[in-house]
Amino acid sequence: MPPALRIDPRDARPIWRQIEEGVQHLVARGALPSGTAVPSVRDLAKDLQVNPATVFKAYQRLTDAGVLTVRRGEGTFVADSPPAASDAQRLGRLREEAVRYASLAVTLGASREETVATLEAVWRGLKDGNGKAEGDEE
Amino acid sequence: MNTHDPVAPIDPVGPIVLEGLTVRYGERLALDSVSLTVPERSVYALLGRNGAGKSSLVRCLLGEQKPAAGRVSLLGRNVWTERAAILKDVGVVPEEPNMPPAMSARQIARFCSRLYPRWDAAGVEARLKRFRVPAETPFGRLSKGQKGQVALTLALASAPRLLVLDDPTLGLDAVARKAVFEELIGELADRGTTVFITSHDLAGVERIADRVAVLRQGELVLDEEMDALKHRFRRLSFPAALTPRLEALAPVAVASRSWGIEAVVAHYDEERLGSPEEGGPEVSALTLEEIFIALTGEEAER
Repeated sequence: MPPALRIDPRDARPIWRQIEEGVQHLVARGALPSGTAVPSVRDLAKDLQVNPATVFKAYQRLTDAGVLTVRRGEGTFVADSPPAASDAQRLGRLREEAVRYASLAVTLGASREETVATLEAVWRGLKDGNGKAEGDEE
Repeated sequence: MNTHDPVAPIDPVGPIVLEGLTVRYGERLALDSVSLTVPERSVYALLGRNGAGKSSLVRCLLGEQKPAAGRVSLLGRNVWTERAAILKDVGVVPEEPNMPPAMSARQIARFCSRLYPRWDAAGVEARLKRFRVPAETPFGRLSKGQKGQVALTLALASAPRLLVLDDPTLGLDAVARKAVFEELIGELADRGTTVFITSHDLAGVERIADRVAVLRQGELVLDEEMDALKHRFRRLSFPAALTPRLEALAPVAVASRSWGIEAVVAHYDEERLGSPEEGGPEVSALTLEEIFIALTGEEAER
């Protein structure tokens, strides 16, 4: 089971997209290095308690995008040089999450400086930690 | 993984087609001209509050009850006239599994194995073991949850084309519920069986169903792909300082909260509302359970 792949029922994105972007995110962060075997559709569907067709759809899109690669008879693996997400995709997602973070900061009455500094520190931690961050265990 | 490989030609009609299904109990209209189609290899969830008409619909679907009007086609055939032949290809888990109380699960399985052309005896033993249901205990002495698990085990053993599950997790604890969903997921992965399920476990259904229908007082008020449904519903939270023009939003449910007003809209349009940064309402996505409550609960606008 890849670390930190979760399905959130309060997320407006369809489940297949949550899986697709979740895997993409783990690959981008280095949590799933090139050549790593990903769980079979059946196993991941059971882990996440979702319809296997949903996992299949996510895997198929990831394979089409070159993030995953299927080796016949062996299973599905992270590709040797997975492409980064498209700029529009990346910036769209980034803004979505930024709105959430910024809203919380405003709610808590944090200053602009505090907000930016906290973000900066977390970002640094993720980069230095080689993909291992807080809350990633399991 | 061959969920999408064409193992058998897709039935163009759909494994389940209901047309104008109407059921009356005396004066009361239990089902009001319900029409729906369950696509092949889909997981179709029928939701509704108690008394909404789910049980009547399932009984008609299985040819156990004759509707006042309407037509039921099951696997392309008329369920009322060809019931016995059709049910060989349909696995059923009834709400109240009814089997000979003195017989054990293993004895019942042996009996059933003679009735079905395809019977997976090894699968029966494996599933009973995974469910931790004692195979030698008389059926009548099993718990409600275990009875349901035996029914699911037997339903899957005949490799059915269609599974009809009437609230299969009712009365199960969280662990047993997970076991039931895991069996179902395994079956979907292996054979892509079409599943028709009624359930009160909306969190479970949300993860496996790809199409959802909602019955309200005998009327089908929703029949839609899960993704599309989740995409269009949103909750808007207006703090007391904001007075929303509710008519313009056409909400399906409105609730007054201590801190302001909450509205659920069925056709969310970001452009029209403005975001919280611009002084608009707080917008959040809804779980299937929340959508269901908005459509059928006390706060639903009639």
